[in-house]
Amino acid sequence: MWKYLRSEFLKLRKSTIWLLVFVSPLLSMLIGFGEANFTSDIKEYQWVSTLGVMTIGHSILFLPLLTGVFSSFICRYEHSSGGWKQLLSLPVSRRNVYIGKFLMVSLLIALTQILFVAGLLFIGWMKGFSTGIPWEVILPSVIGGWLACLPLIALQLFASVSWSSFAAPLAINVIFTIPNILIVNSERFGPYYPWAQPFLMMMPDSTDSFGALHVSFETLFIVVLGSLLLFFCSGFMYFMRKEI
Amino acid sequence: MSDLIIKTNKLTKKFGSKRVVNHVDLQVKRGEIYGFLGPNGAGKTTTIRMLLGLARPTKGSIQIFGEDIKKDKISILKKVGSLVEYPSYYGHLTAYENLEAVRILLDAPKSRIDEVLSIVRLTKDAKRPVKGFSLGMKQRLGIATALLGNPELLILDEPTNGLDPSGIIEIRELIKSMPKEHGITIVVSSHLLSEIDQMATQVGIISKVIFQDSISKLRERASSKIKITVNEGESAWKMLLSHGITSDLAQQSIYLENGSDEKVAKVVKSLVDNEYSIYRVEEEKKSLEEIFLELTGKEGGL
Repeated sequence: MWKYLRSEFLKLRKSTIWLLVFVSPLLSMLIGFGEANFTSDIKEYQWVSTLGVMTIGHSILFLPLLTGVFSSFICRYEHSSGGWKQLLSLPVSRRNVYIGKFLMVSLLIALTQILFVAGLLFIGWMKGFSTGIPWEVILPSVIGGWLACLPLIALQLFASVSWSSFAAPLAINVIFTIPNILIVNSERFGPYYPWAQPFLMMMPDSTDSFGALHVSFETLFIVVLGSLLLFFCSGFMYFMRKEI
Repeated sequence: MSDLIIKTNKLTKKFGSKRVVNHVDLQVKRGEIYGFLGPNGAGKTTTIRMLLGLARPTKGSIQIFGEDIKKDKISILKKVGSLVEYPSYYGHLTAYENLEAVRILLDAPKSRIDEVLSIVRLTKDAKRPVKGFSLGMKQRLGIATALLGNPELLILDEPTNGLDPSGIIEIRELIKSMPKEHGITIVVSSHLLSEIDQMATQVGIISKVIFQDSISKLRERASSKIKITVNEGESAWKMLLSHGITSDLAQQSIYLENGSDEKVAKVVKSLVDNEYSIYRVEEEKKSLEEIFLELTGKEGGL
């Protein structure tokens, strides 16, 4: 498995994709700076409220979009000049190729999340938040957000492998991501809408939670895990049978 | 182990109801350069894709190195290098990095990259991004990639497609040197007969049926005719017939099938004796091209 990741990394290394990893954490950080911190008189909520503000744009829009961009990108250089043909006529197993691509996209998203936390820590340091860093809130939030992205990655990878076009899977992703802004507010649809999951998982608990945030963590977890299995298996089966 | 490197049995591939490859029995022996010929759309590439496990046969079986491709795909592919249709490459990487990305997956030693680069003479351009390469260089990089794993069998689909004459000669010499220097068996496909004629030792022509034999056997089929042009074709032909010499008349010229030297001499003598003016006596050889068209059902002739 290791060699698949190394080969994949080599192909990615020289691309411009790395810049995209920074975009969302940077923007979120700017938003975080701008936050007026209404609750800052209650000092222990400084971190959490900043995290909450940063999470909104990051998890409703950027994370779902990035899963699509990364997935498309990691398949693009295979589609564009006969890469699939060359890759799959080597003594490699299709299973590992597919899993390798999936892991690579997951790693890129993980990197985005790490930078996101770095951004938060930077704000805290600059503004001089007085309390200690509440890791028990931050970690579940970013790791949960990452987990919630996995089903989306699986689905986007399926789409990117099937279509040789770079734009088509992205267009689909955008179409499903934009309604997110509304759907996360819905108690009925929110918990079951895959694109809403990163937000629901990332938003730190607070008393003024709205919409689907009342849904229990167990429900979200089952939805995330279930959709991950469904999307990954369909994409995987398709790829195993695909004729190049 | 048998001497057959590739053996297919009634290999068939259908796309919908159309049979693209129909009951093909390929047999490629060790150490040969097997020329795989057929007009465009005859199923050459599809056959090769099946050989490499990229596509699944609808019917029939494939054995490479005596192993079944369905069961032992990975162990077969370890010994196979390939270049299918147009060359595959990652444009944003340099030639060296392209090879490195493949080398990692093959577990080949790093030194092998420099070896294959020098075989295809790309050492100087190794550090340049491939998107700036000419087609010929990309093609050579493709061959380098195919050679990376030290294959025993090299499958090259249309390797000279789109190259200029000097590029064609270069690739051809490279291919011809391979069995001698490295003991590799090669399958090379093309739609150009002259191309195969200059490289291959064995030839398989795919169309409705498959003709498969050594290239010299194919050349033997290129029988010759003697064409004699005289001033009055028709009366000369009748005169020859009355002397018991059968010939064909076409466009006022007389054609002799399988003309032996004596027969030609005899015909010429009687023509001179009967005071016909002989303009030309020439041999018309049926070219390999015509045989190719005959075997593939004249589709190419349209």
